[in-house]
Amino acid sequence: MLKLENIDKWYGDYHALKTVNADIKKGEVVVVCGPSGSGKSTLIRTITRLEEIQAGRILFEDKDIYGRAVDVNRLRARVGFVFQSFNLFQNMSVRDNLTLGPVKVLGISRDEANARAQELLVKVGLEKKIDAMPANLSGGQQQRVAIARALAMQPALMLFDEPTSALDPEMVSEVLQVMQALARDGMTMLIVSHEMGFAREVSSRVWFMDNGELLEDAAPDDFFCNPQHPRARKFLQDVVRPHDRIKAPMAA
Amino acid sequence: MLEILQNYASLFLIGAYPNGPLGGLAMTLILSVLGLTLSFPIAVLIGLAHMSSFGWLRFIAQWWTRVIRGIPLLLIIFWAYFCVPLIVGGEVSGFTTVVCAIVVYESAFLAQVVRAGLEGLPKGQTEAARSIGLTWMQSMRFVRLPQALTNMIPSIVNQFVSTIKATSLAYVIGVPELTYSAAQVNTMTLTKPLEIYLVLAGFYFVLCFSISRFAGLLELRIGGKPRGMA
Repeated sequence: MLKLENIDKWYGDYHALKTVNADIKKGEVVVVCGPSGSGKSTLIRTITRLEEIQAGRILFEDKDIYGRAVDVNRLRARVGFVFQSFNLFQNMSVRDNLTLGPVKVLGISRDEANARAQELLVKVGLEKKIDAMPANLSGGQQQRVAIARALAMQPALMLFDEPTSALDPEMVSEVLQVMQALARDGMTMLIVSHEMGFAREVSSRVWFMDNGELLEDAAPDDFFCNPQHPRARKFLQDVVRPHDRIKAPMAA
Repeated sequence: MLEILQNYASLFLIGAYPNGPLGGLAMTLILSVLGLTLSFPIAVLIGLAHMSSFGWLRFIAQWWTRVIRGIPLLLIIFWAYFCVPLIVGGEVSGFTTVVCAIVVYESAFLAQVVRAGLEGLPKGQTEAARSIGLTWMQSMRFVRLPQALTNMIPSIVNQFVSTIKATSLAYVIGVPELTYSAAQVNTMTLTKPLEIYLVLAGFYFVLCFSISRFAGLLELRIGGKPRGMA
């Protein structure tokens, strides 16, 4: 469904992405991990053209996303994006946040959009908050609404850029549970995350990035038990905290 | 000074009305409100042009703003006085001239207010709007402008105060606003210019001070609500 071919990106003189090659098939759940500044967020943002690339091709559903025939708005309607800082529209209620896209972009009727919003909020466990304003929701609730907002567009692919990094620890699991349910339902997902336990349990593949390069692309068991690249090994050692057995994937 | 107020109150407040055109404080308010209301849509367009990705649009917007902010309003009023009849092709009242001049003058300042309001929003709002497939125009209309407008209100009210004082220049082309009323009173009494102009200053002060206080209260009210932050 998604193919990244020789992606190169520079911010001025800084080489942010170095010849990244990868692909994602329908139904796969890929978790991208790696140290800070490795280019994970940059990579995921290039897929919906939030960041431009200087070389290489990105093929979504077999079409080059920079192709002349491709309407970037149509592309973004097919690819859901969940941000680290939620980015709910502060001037509208949860209901309006969820119905704005379907009504204005997909052209569906307000009644249908409302029904869809209701269904999605039940799915994320927030049906009672349909008329709340984002400012009155907790971080975990806002992120779940953000996921529902992305799902309202019925995307083919969901991208998550560190969805739980800005949340207090007690709210992280409510969001991860929603993401796990989504994965079980067969959604194709690409997730940038530091949640190693989640990656091990839920992902079909793990990508490890460091310094702009995609160094390892392996099944979660292979990656966590037997990482090939030396930098991947160092990363996993740094991530494991001795008094945190839950987050110690290698201490199985 | 109190006798001046007592004797000429209606002249100060509403000009010669009903024995002549509406004037005085009422006219000052009408000129300011009309001027600001008409210039606001133009200011939004210019503000958006400032942020445009089209170089030529940015160029026009930037030079419009630079030129107008660099010329005294009095000159713009004079220009309007001579140019507007030429453009329209007929007689134009002083009132229309001044409104045109204020519209042009305020468009440049309000454009900057609009731009600041939009640039003050977190980038995430724009990214989220575009990420669900909204076009630039849709993201502006449904997500960004509504939030920016709330933030802009104190600045707009400040421009309103500025405009009220600027309308005093309309006196120069004979528009019967508040300063003109003071001049009329002066012509009638001849012996108390200091008191008359102190009363005039008092009127402006009370008006501008009240509006500034209102802006302060508004800012508190807006400051209490989160401004586009997730």
